[in-house]
Amino acid sequence: MDLDWYILWDYRHDLLRGLGLTVGISLTTILGATLLGLAVGCLRALPGFLLYRVTGLYVEVMRNIPVVVKLFFAHFVIGLDALPAGLIVLILHQSAYIADITAAGLRSVPLGQAEAAMASGLSYPQLFTSVLLPQAARSMIPPLTTQYTQVVKNSSVVMLIALQDLTFMTQRIEHETFRGIEAASGVTLLYLLVVLAITLAMSLLQRLLERRVG
Amino acid sequence: MRVVTSERLGGKGIGGAWSLAAKERLWRLALLTLILWGAWMARDLRWAVVWDSLPLLLGGLATSWALALLSVGLGGLAAIPLAVARVYGPPGLRHAAAAVIEVVRATPELMIVFWIFFALPGLIGVAISNWTAAVAALSLIASAYLAEVVRGGLYSVPKAQWEGALSTGLNRPQVFAYVILPQAARNMVPALVAQAVILFKTTSLVYVIGVIEFFRAVVIVNNSAFAPYALYITMAVGYFLCSWLLTWAVRRLDPKYILRE
Repeated sequence: MDLDWYILWDYRHDLLRGLGLTVGISLTTILGATLLGLAVGCLRALPGFLLYRVTGLYVEVMRNIPVVVKLFFAHFVIGLDALPAGLIVLILHQSAYIADITAAGLRSVPLGQAEAAMASGLSYPQLFTSVLLPQAARSMIPPLTTQYTQVVKNSSVVMLIALQDLTFMTQRIEHETFRGIEAASGVTLLYLLVVLAITLAMSLLQRLLERRVG
Repeated sequence: MRVVTSERLGGKGIGGAWSLAAKERLWRLALLTLILWGAWMARDLRWAVVWDSLPLLLGGLATSWALALLSVGLGGLAAIPLAVARVYGPPGLRHAAAAVIEVVRATPELMIVFWIFFALPGLIGVAISNWTAAVAALSLIASAYLAEVVRGGLYSVPKAQWEGALSTGLNRPQVFAYVILPQAARNMVPALVAQAVILFKTTSLVYVIGVIEFFRAVVIVNNSAFAPYALYITMAVGYFLCSWLLTWAVRRLDPKYILRE
């Protein structure tokens, strides 16, 4: 069989636009899901039965329903526009996983740290932002890396509601030129690069943290 | 003093007038009320559509389960040699296995489905049905993720087990099959279930190549009868119950997991 790799060059504008959207959605989701996930994770660590149960329910519901189902619900049933629907659903979905990671990270900090911080008169927000989370961060980086690469991969589902991301471009090239293999190879390579960039950035962050904490 | 301990104590808040058991009962009651209230609010939706298309929907759900079970089974079979190659293999084989696992894990699931359905027939010169493509794609995804689960399990067995078993005169394959793998398998159960649940949800992606699983069944019914609220609520509840039941069942069955909780 003959392969025509120039097809990727012919479609470079489409591919770059797709890459831009994929990276944009991924970064926004990473930011939003991290903030929301940290907040929910911290709420889960606070004393108080109701808070623990309600946040637990949130995590369970978000984790046990597929992204596509939530995406179609947001777009076709609630009627949100494609981009906001995609962003909101991806953020909500991933925040549940990050909340779990946060809770596990907080558990790895010795109890005495929280007691000492409370005894010295810190408020709850201060307790988390200046005592517990910085110490938990170290053990949270590896699972967070997994989640962030997961974000990039999950972002491909937005093509199902007609957002023109990288995966969408594969299908476009396939439909217009029947060059499925070339398109799939090129796009997969681009995804690998994005994932690699995230992994590298996170290991850099890990090293920075190690140096600061010592 | 109130400190951040509820997570460590498994949700037992410190202080308060009510015992934990009372709070637990109250929470269940509140949850039940919430569900009943939701059902009451949703009473005017077009449930007749759901009722009339129940055979199609249940068939779709069964297909989802079949896809998930098949791909966990096939992927699990492929995962063991992959993990063994990555852990014990000679350098070349080790790197090859690692490359396969990492590339599959770094590629979006949707892309893998496209790869198998659109690109693979061109490469091997044989057209494959969408059902075959779905099983193949999901099995490939499962094999990469499960290989990592198996690898984690293999690492969890102390090295002394190898040394001890080898010194009794067993050869390496025997040690692996009779001593290492059974112990690793026990440690793998929680991660295995987590992956199985994720895979069950991933089956919703093969709807793009036309396999009529639960998600596509709902979309088909909705396209003809248009009752989005009723149908999508049914679908969300269906997926939630399946994934949650799976997790819950294993939590109940596996003593190790209970200890860990």
